[in-house]
Amino acid sequence: MSKKVIRVNHISKRYIIGQGKNSSLYHTIGNLFKKGTPSKEEFWALNDVSFDVEEGEVLGVIGKNGAGKSTLLKILSRITEPTYGKIQITGRVASLLEVGTGFHPELTGKENIFLNGSILGMKRQEINAKFDEIVDFSGISKFIDTPVKHYSSGMYVRLAFSVAAHLEPEILIIDEVLAVGDKEFQDKCLGKMNDVSKLGRTIVFVSHNMNLISLLCKQCLLLKGGKILTLGNTQKVVESYLFDESHTYFDRKKSQNISKCSLLNSSKSEVTSLKFGEPFYFSVTLNNDFDSHRVYVSFLLNNENGIRILSSRSVDGDYYISKDEKGVVKNSFTAFYERLFLRPNVKYLLSIRLLEQKGHEIEYIHNVLEFQVEDIPHNPNIRFSGGYGIVANQPIWNVE
Amino acid sequence: MNAYLINANKSILQNPLELAFLRLPLDFIFPPLFFFLVFNKLRARFFLSKIIIEAGSLSVRQRLKELAEYRELLWTLAYRDVRVRYAQTAVGFAWAIINPLLQILLLSFVFGTVAKTGTGESNVPHILYTTAGMCGWVYFSNVLSGASNSIIGAQSMVKKIYFPRLILPLSKALTAFIDLAVMLGIILFLMFIYGIMPTTSILFLPFFLFIAVISGLAVGIWLSALTIRFRDFKQITPLMLRLGMYATPIAYPASAVPEQYQLLFFLNPIAGVVEGVRWSLIGGEEPSNYILLSFGVVLILFTWGLLYFLKIERSIADII
Repeated sequence: MSKKVIRVNHISKRYIIGQGKNSSLYHTIGNLFKKGTPSKEEFWALNDVSFDVEEGEVLGVIGKNGAGKSTLLKILSRITEPTYGKIQITGRVASLLEVGTGFHPELTGKENIFLNGSILGMKRQEINAKFDEIVDFSGISKFIDTPVKHYSSGMYVRLAFSVAAHLEPEILIIDEVLAVGDKEFQDKCLGKMNDVSKLGRTIVFVSHNMNLISLLCKQCLLLKGGKILTLGNTQKVVESYLFDESHTYFDRKKSQNISKCSLLNSSKSEVTSLKFGEPFYFSVTLNNDFDSHRVYVSFLLNNENGIRILSSRSVDGDYYISKDEKGVVKNSFTAFYERLFLRPNVKYLLSIRLLEQKGHEIEYIHNVLEFQVEDIPHNPNIRFSGGYGIVANQPIWNVE
Repeated sequence: MNAYLINANKSILQNPLELAFLRLPLDFIFPPLFFFLVFNKLRARFFLSKIIIEAGSLSVRQRLKELAEYRELLWTLAYRDVRVRYAQTAVGFAWAIINPLLQILLLSFVFGTVAKTGTGESNVPHILYTTAGMCGWVYFSNVLSGASNSIIGAQSMVKKIYFPRLILPLSKALTAFIDLAVMLGIILFLMFIYGIMPTTSILFLPFFLFIAVISGLAVGIWLSALTIRFRDFKQITPLMLRLGMYATPIAYPASAVPEQYQLLFFLNPIAGVVEGVRWSLIGGEEPSNYILLSFGVVLILFTWGLLYFLKIERSIADII
């Protein structure tokens, strides 16, 4: 049985909004003579969060911006204090909320290794012992006696990460710092992370990169609005993050003509994110009013940069609003995209046009739906391979 | 990158933290910290360290203990400050000498030649008298100007990593030893030139320097804490230092101040130190009992400031 090295008990963190305005000396002195307390607005960045982390566990923390991930990390790494609650940590902790904290541009690479190392909590002998290893890992041994201000930003980040990678605490708290350097260096860092977790170290890891999370973590924590939404098996938690419906932009008030519009995944459930390579449906249900005219819909898909990816008209398949034999209106359109591999980590916006057969436009509803494609392969054999372009379909290759 | 750049920075201090001469004063200032360090090393060998995070969970004693654990960081930061201070200047370290030297010349001219304030009972050239007075002041003012901006200046660090924040103003108190050393060098040189031998009063020098450190820290800790909350102190500190230079008996004897103002005059936390350091260096008229008042002010400011700082320490990252 493994023991619990981090116990988080009912942690809450309150911030006072608008404190900045009244913090000048003038205001403080002024307030001394005023009666009553100045009005302040509260904001709970974390609200009654409890969980345990076992020894050797890699815990992923996910959630949207403002969900409280950073606050949680800041409290765990003792940068700020919780307003309520208690955390018990057994073992040496190192936190990596940023690479290269405290690096000074005027100092040489060597001096910065010592500086950064001791800021991260390494002892001097420790740094001395690992010095060669750190320099090797960074791959910039030639420039180690050059002030880092002359480094390229890539060299800078590599040196910084190399120091961090050689920390040997029992517990490591990491914010999204792996997104540095080129692909080769990233792989190196990932390898290092894997090694560290295999050595039985406990890691708490925050990331927006679902792919990384599913690769590294077995357990995962989903935060929303300062509270724990789900906690448990990574696969399950990641799914619930993707299914989280509050993503959707669709607002019923936006249009009188549409009653429902959604994105469906391969199993026909409503989602706000897709996995990479997953077949999907756009679905729209119209109000019943268009009985006389031959009305059809057109789906227009743009990416976040406003580039049109596709436009599909139901008229091309000869589908209109119609009635069946019993006189029931058929007004729900679905379009199935079986093999459209949208590039992951990009936001997509769906717009809808309602048209009459003559080409007369009834309504153009901009950005009805917003969704994202995550870098998690739907089919384990087809992964996103990087590269440029707005779609990432894999062709069928051949060489003769 | 050309060869010039690569070789240009092989500094004299090849191995960081090898400022052994700087290590001495700290162990001298905080012997209790040293004790804690040894104690902690022993403890760590037998128990896995346990951290409890809670609102206001650490007592003042625990915080001081933690400070001792982070002693190496203190040295590293002080080393960084020294190393970076004169980077890319043409004359480099010479600024550490030119700067106080010009101040001494000006002060000595204004007080000695123009205002003719005299040198009390000591029979030394006025320039020597002023230099001796500057010793305490230079240290004090350097700690103050460094400390008041120390936390604001390290914002990015404070927001991203945990360490006892007190280290930041403390490291400035260490860095300023360089300036003190320069001043002591200047005065020894002048004494040698003028053929003046130190008297037995020199034995009191360590004591007065100790008080100088405490008084620098007392005001420095206050300023660093206040500057986080009220950026007004970024303006107030330099003003205070400019005015303080004249309100402190650097180039004139404290005895020249009319009796009815003596009490007020010695409320200045550095006044007593400047008088004491000068007396121990060049002898002459013994400092009046009023310097005890000045020391009392220092002690109160220091204790109060330290407690205040430790109280707000954990919320610094939120306020900054």
